[in-house]
Parts: sequence; structure tokens; C-alpha cells
Amino acid sequence: MELLIALIPALPLAGFLFAVGVGPRLDRVPGHGHHGDHDAHGDHEAHEGDDHEPVDDSHFRSVPTEEEQRETSPHAGHADDLANAEGAAGVIPESLNDGIGQAGHVTPGAERPRYRSWVVPTVLVGIGWLISMWVFAQVVFAGQTYEVTVYEWIASGDFVINISFLVDELTAMLLLVVSSVGFLVHVYSIGYMDGDRGFWRFFAYLNLFMFSMLLLILGDNFLMLYVGWEAVGLCSYALIGFWYKKPSAAGAAKKAFVVNRVGDFGFGLGIMMIWVNLETLSFREVFAQIGTLDEGTITIIALLLFAGAVGKSAQFPLHVWLPDAMEGPTPVSALIHAATMVNAGVYLVARANPIFAEAPTAMWVVASIGVFTAIFAAAIALTQNDIKKVLAYSTVSQLAYMFFALGIGAWTAAIFHLVSHGFFKGLLFMGSGSVIHGAGGEQDMRFMGNLRAKMRWTYLTMIVGSLALAGIPIFAGFFSKDEILAEAFNRGYYVFYGVGVVVAFMTAFYTFRMIFMTFWGEWRGPAEVWRHVHESAGTMVAPLVILAVPTTLLGLILGIPPEEGLIHDWLDPIFHDVAHTGALPGSILAGYDSRGEEHHFELLGLGGLLLLVGAAVAVAGVALAYRWYVRQPDAPGRFVERIPLGFGPGMYRASANRYYVDDLYQLVWARGGVLASNALWWFDAKVIDGTVNGAGWLASKVGGGLRQVQTGRVENYGLGIAAGLAIVIFVYAAVVR
Amino acid sequence: MSARHIASELSTLDISSVLFFLLAVGVVGAGIAVVTLRNIIHSAVAMMVCFGSLAGMYALLGAPIVAAAQVLIYLGAISVLILFAIMLTQAGDANLPAPFHRQLPIALVVALAITGIVGWAIVQTDWALATEAVGSGVETIAETLFTEFALPFEIISLLLLAAIIGAIYLARRPEEDERAN
Amino acid sequence: MGIDGYLIVSALLFGIGAFGFMARRNAILMLISIELMFNAVNLSLVAFNAFLPDDSGGGAVFALMIMAVAAAEVTVGLALVIAIIRTRQTAEVDQYSDLKE
Repeated sequence: MELLIALIPALPLAGFLFAVGVGPRLDRVPGHGHHGDHDAHGDHEAHEGDDHEPVDDSHFRSVPTEEEQRETSPHAGHADDLANAEGAAGVIPESLNDGIGQAGHVTPGAERPRYRSWVVPTVLVGIGWLISMWVFAQVVFAGQTYEVTVYEWIASGDFVINISFLVDELTAMLLLVVSSVGFLVHVYSIGYMDGDRGFWRFFAYLNLFMFSMLLLILGDNFLMLYVGWEAVGLCSYALIGFWYKKPSAAGAAKKAFVVNRVGDFGFGLGIMMIWVNLETLSFREVFAQIGTLDEGTITIIALLLFAGAVGKSAQFPLHVWLPDAMEGPTPVSALIHAATMVNAGVYLVARANPIFAEAPTAMWVVASIGVFTAIFAAAIALTQNDIKKVLAYSTVSQLAYMFFALGIGAWTAAIFHLVSHGFFKGLLFMGSGSVIHGAGGEQDMRFMGNLRAKMRWTYLTMIVGSLALAGIPIFAGFFSKDEILAEAFNRGYYVFYGVGVVVAFMTAFYTFRMIFMTFWGEWRGPAEVWRHVHESAGTMVAPLVILAVPTTLLGLILGIPPEEGLIHDWLDPIFHDVAHTGALPGSILAGYDSRGEEHHFELLGLGGLLLLVGAAVAVAGVALAYRWYVRQPDAPGRFVERIPLGFGPGMYRASANRYYVDDLYQLVWARGGVLASNALWWFDAKVIDGTVNGAGWLASKVGGGLRQVQTGRVENYGLGIAAGLAIVIFVYAAVVR
Repeated sequence: MSARHIASELSTLDISSVLFFLLAVGVVGAGIAVVTLRNIIHSAVAMMVCFGSLAGMYALLGAPIVAAAQVLIYLGAISVLILFAIMLTQAGDANLPAPFHRQLPIALVVALAITGIVGWAIVQTDWALATEAVGSGVETIAETLFTEFALPFEIISLLLLAAIIGAIYLARRPEEDERAN
Repeated sequence: MGIDGYLIVSALLFGIGAFGFMARRNAILMLISIELMFNAVNLSLVAFNAFLPDDSGGGAVFALMIMAVAAAEVTVGLALVIAIIRTRQTAEVDQYSDLKE
């Protein structure tokens, strides 16, 4: 069994190494100057029909230049869809579609391209998924916990760190999400990334990411967690900036990494503080001894750890990277920014629950940031026109829900929402990728419409995902979100509860706004593109269908009865001791102290009422979206006009501009950094170099002056001697006297 | 030496004091003449006067041998030598260049400083010495010269030899130098 | 006249000689000034010889030594000066500035 657990992260690592070493050889990509360079891209067939441009690393060039894009597609600029290496108008005719995906866009006469480098990585991840499911079953159903030590990594005096894995119920839940969605994303990418020059590179990075994420959740000490944490950050950088020739993608990757780093810095400090105070980093030992520290220290540690979570899980104020991360290919968004990497922050706080439980102040901070970010991100999502941006801000908002839950002590509810969100958000993202693919690279919903006529599978699965996200009863999101809100109400956080309800309404609204704009109404794009709109390939649709299953059923399986469902039984061993902790009692926002109270769910009592409120709010949101985006398209505009005091257009603009947070950061940090850098440069060049050069200049001038003394004339020298004599005898006479 | 002392000295005039003052005037006056006259030959003559007055002073100080040596060496040899050198290097009196440097003022200041400091030291010192000059006779000097100063005496002879050789070599005419090369 | 008179004269003569050395342009005049300085020192020595209670006459002998050395020095010095004046065609010392920095 230990071997199997050690295999879970090892398999993707092997896949990565394979993909890097052998992958390039397995692909043959079509030509834009595919010149016969080193064997790494090695087919030596003749390249008739290729135009040999004198480009150096053309076999990495996976994105058309801006001019090409502009020439061929009126809405290009969203180079998300790589199938359009030659622009939307150059889409492959049906006869060349062999069903495996968008068969590579060949220039007539050249060799048929093939993409085989997906096989080994995907298969390895698939095997890993099977093992993970087996382990999950063992842990959850048979109550096993596994601790596996693989290698003694650091043994330096008292500082001992092992590469060892801990698999308990919490890890098992994360394993479920990460492995399943990860595997499905691999399958999805076979179709989605077809035609991309960097095909093998994508799978290599995907596998590396899986390895890192698994390391993160399997580790049994803070340092392993941190290693995995940093590694997923690196993979995120690589994958967001996958199309690195595109300046916006490269910039987004940089932004993600830098913003993450800010959080990671706090996280690192937290780990150091743990070490300094407790001399150990292993979870078991830290949590056992955490009570020995004073509350102030614990609070600081908890807040520092939370800083890392804020960065990784894109909460305010470090949320800015996630929307920009949509520059990466859609499978990346599905995997990293919906289902796995961003959950790392939630996992961290959940795992460190003994620390947080001892620091109510920290928990209050967690909950407050969660609540604020939830409504902040939802408010931005209302006005976004890019389909992926809507989902991105939705992710931020839903993650905020999870932190909200963690902060008020509803640990299990948070994890429940994490699992259900991972599935339905992954579904939604992959569905959006399918939409973009089918709509010819277009991402702006204003130029879509009526896609349900031509993309039935995508449409149906997206509906399922949206119902879950909006929180419509039966679907997974309803149960998990409602449990969070119920916990908030029951523990007395009335203001938080109120905000949560408003956010639920907004979520339902913007989600179905997205659906109606994309799939209903009239096609608003160019007619040329409409002719080519088609359902996506099997490898892309299959994961959507597969994911629709847990999206529908997970809530029913795990969440009934509410607050006492199966998920509570599963996670009870983890959260048993801290189930009744929460944010600062007695504070205005917290309400009364509800610790120590047991409560049971009654369908005909308070619990049922809360359920009803949640459902009603969700339905209301859907209804409003229907009215505004199907029935009366000018209603939103009139609504904005009617907002009193003329705030309407300004509010709209503020929302559409993401409340100017990014601009603020650009001004303060980017331009400020440049200014500071210039100031320091000035100081270095003028003051420091000035001093050094000045010393030289001074020496030169003094030398130049002093050399005038040597006139070569004896009378001057004689004068000097006599003057010296006079001085000496004067001193002698006056002093020694 | 204070003004009162000078006054008391003047009041007790005797031949040695008068002679001293006369000789002192000769020395200092001639000395000033040496350094201020434009014509070198005039300066050389003034120098001879200065030497002569000094010889008189030595005699007053009771060292006749030194006075004799002064006359012999300075007046007899060195002055003549200098006059010869002047003659040999005279470019003609057509254009007498400026006699003084540009650093004349500073030179004056420095010289005055030296003189002043030394003079002030002299005046300030309480010379608890004999009031009357007791000179040294020839016998005393001879005895000291050939016993205590025997070695320096011999070495001076060597020095003079070296000086002669050097002077001869240096003063050669150019063509003789070339033939020697 | 006490010793201070002679010493004052000696100091004056020395100052005059120093001034002449520093202020005059002719090379031979500089040598003459040096001779004046020598003589000033001699005078001072002989004066001390006369007024100090030591009866060995050392001051006078020393003065004789100085005279001999001065003679040798003026010989060689003049030879040098003549050589220089011959080559440079000028007796002005401020023209001899080849060693100028």
C-alpha cells in the first residue's frame, strides 16, 4: 500500500520526464517554416510546400502574429483557440476532420501532422487516478489513515525533514478532486490543444503540475507543503504563459507569479515562525504542541499562513492575477484555476485548523476577507463580457465562500464546497473552452448567441454546471453553498449571512446572464463564422459529460441530510475538535457566541427556512437574468439609467474596470517600482559613482596643482628650504623655548 | 640686549667698541651692497670689503690666525676666483637683465623671518658668559688642530685634492672633451 | 661688546646671504651669497670661541675647517656654473628649468 501511495505523485513526475525527453519526437507539427533543425523535432521527411521562413525557433511559434490575426478574423486577438493558427477564416474543411480533434491545419502538399505525445502522460495520470480512487475508498470507507516515509531529505542536527506522505480524510477528499479533474483535463487537452506546436510541452507541464499538486496535498509536514506550493506556482507560470510569444500572456504569467510570491513570502515567514517556536514542521507534532504558545504568537502564525492562502487562492487584495490568468489555454484554467491550485489555500487553512482554532482573531480575518472578496468579485463578474473572465471572477467569489466558511468554523462545509466547486467549475471552464473552440476563437459573449442550436452537448452540460453554480436545488452547489449560509446564520453571523445571500443572488444572475448571452438569442457574430460553428470533438465533450454526473449527484450523496450528511461523517475525524470554533465572539458582525451549542436540522424549522431562502434567491437570480437577457435586452441599460443620483453609469464602469484595483497596483507597485528604481539608479550613478569619480577627480586636480611646485628652478627650491628653515626655528624657539 | 644696554654701552665708549661698530657697519653694509647692486663686479668688490671687515672682527675676537686665514683664503683666493669666473662668463654689458626674481618679496619676507627669529632668540637669551673676549693664541689653535682635529685636517687635504681634480675636469674646453672621447 | 653683538651681526649677515641667494638671478651671485652665509657662521663660531670658557680653541679651528671646505666648494661650484653658463649661454638661473614638471 505504501508503494501505491508513493506512486501517486511519482507517476506524473515520470510522465513529465518522459514528455520532456521523448515528447518532441512524437509530434509532427504543420508548417510555417518548419525547418529541419535538430532532431528534437525530428522527422526528416521532405518539406515540400513549406515556406522556409528564416525564423529561428519557429517550431515553438504557436501563435499567429498580430497582423495575421487581424487579417483573418475580425474578432481575433483572442488567440486562446490555437486551432486557428491561420485565423478563423482558415478553418479546416470537414473533409480533413478525422474525428480525433481539429486535425492539424495543414498547408496542402505537406505531411499530415500527428500528435502522439499525449499518450504516456495521460495514461500515467489515468493510472494515478485509479490508485487515488482506491486509496480514497480505503481511507473514507474503511477508515484507514496512511503515513508513508519515502526518503529522509534533510537531517541537520535538530532539523529533520522527511519526504513523507500523510493520507487522511482531508487529503483523500482533495485527492478525489485533483486526480479526477486532472485526468479529465488531460483527456480534454488531447482535443483542445490539437494543432498547437507546443503540444508535447503542454502535456509535460500538465504532468509536472499534477506532480506538484499531489506533493502539496500528500505532504505530512509544512516544508513538503511549501515545496509543492511553490512548484504549483511555477507550473502555473509556465502554463499561463504557455503561448509565451504573446506579450499579454507573458505578462499575465509574470503577474501571477509575482502576486503569488507576495503571499508566499508571508507563508514562508509563517513556517519559519512555526519552526522557531516549536522546533518541528511535521503536522502531527506541530498541531499537538500548538497550544503551548501564547495566543498572540499563534495569531501571527495563522495570519502569515493565511497570507499565503490569500495569494494562492486569489482573495482580495491578491486576487488580481486570476482573471489575467485566463490568457492561458482553457484546460489550464479548468485545472489550475478552478479545481486544483486555487484550492491549495483552502487546503492549507483546513489542514492548519488546530492553529487557527486557537486564534479567533485570525479566523475573523479569514472570514471577513472571504465575505468581502465574495461580494467584490461577484460585483465585477456582473459586467464582464469575456466568458472566461466571468468564470474567473466567479471562481474568486466561490473560493471566498470557502474562506468565509473556514473563518466561521464551518470546516466541513468549506471542504464540501471545495469538492463540489472543483467539479462544476471544471465543467464550466471546459465547456467554455468548447464554446470558444466552436465559435471560432471568439471569447466575447457579445458576439455569440444561439449556440445551443449547433452545440447541443456543450449547451446541456454547461446548463448543468450553471445550475450547480447558481445554487439551484438538487445540484451540488445548492447543498454546499446552503450549508455554508446555514452555518453562518446558526452561529450568529447575521451580517455575513446577509452578504452571502446577496452574493448568491448575484452569482445566479451573472451565471445565467452568461448562459443566455452565449446560447440563447440570436447569433451576433459575423455570418462567416456562424457557418463554421460546430460541436467540439469527442475528447472534449466526453469530460464534460463525465463531470456533469458528480455535478448533479454529489450534493445529493454527500449533503443529505443538510449539516449531517455523509461528508460530515467522512471528515469528522479531522474536524472533530474544532467543529465549534469560530471568529471573535461578541463582535458586532459575529453576533452572539454560539459555541457549545448543538443544533439539528429540521426541515420544517429554521433549517428548512434557510434552505428555502437560498433556493428562492437563486431562482430569482436566474429569472432576472432571463428577463433581461432573453426577453428585454434593453432592460439592463434602462436599469442602469434609473439608478438614483446618476450613479448608474459610473457604477457600471467601475465594475467593468474591476474597481480599478489593477490600475491602482499598476500605479503604486509597477510605476512606483520604476520610480524607486530610477531614484536608486540616480543615487548610485550620481552620488556613489560621483563620490568615487570625485575622489579620482580630486586626486587629479590636487596632483595637477601640486606639480606646479616643481618648477625645476633652484631659486624656488632655495626659497622652499629657507621657508622651511624659518618655520622650524620658529617652532623650536617658540615651543621648546 | 635691550636699548638700555646699548645706551650703557654707548656711554662707556672705548676703542674696541668703536672698532666693533665700524666693522659691523662694514660687514652689514657691504653685505647689503653685495645683494643689491646690479653690476656683478660691483657686488664682487663689495664682497671683498665684507670679507675684509670680517677679518677685522676676527682680530677683535682675539683669533689672529683666523683673521689671517680669512684674508689669505677669502680675499686672496676665493674673491679672485670669483672675479675670474665673472670675467670668463661675461656676455658683455650690452643688456643687463633684471637682477631680481619675481619671488623677491617672498624672499625678503622669509629672510627677515629667519633673521628676526634668530635675532629674537639671541636677544632673549641670557648669555651668562664672560664679558670680555678671550681669544685663542696660535699655539692653542695649532695644538688643537694637530691633535684633536688631526683627522679632519687630513681629510680636508683629500677634499681639496678632489676639488682640484673636479674643477679641472669641469672647466675643460669642449674640443678637448671630444678628443678625450 | 658682549657676545650678543657679534651674534646679531652674524644673524644679519646670514639673513642677507639668504636673501641674496633667493632673490638674485645671476648664478654667480648666488654662489657669492652662499659665501656670505658661510662667513656669517664663521663669525658666530669664532665669537663663541672667544666668549666661552673653553680654552681649547676649538671654535677657531672649526672655523678654519669651514674655510677650507668653503674654498673647495666654491672651486667646484664655480666650475659647474661656468660649464652651465657656457652651454646655456645665459647666467640667469630661472632659465635653467629643464627639470620642470
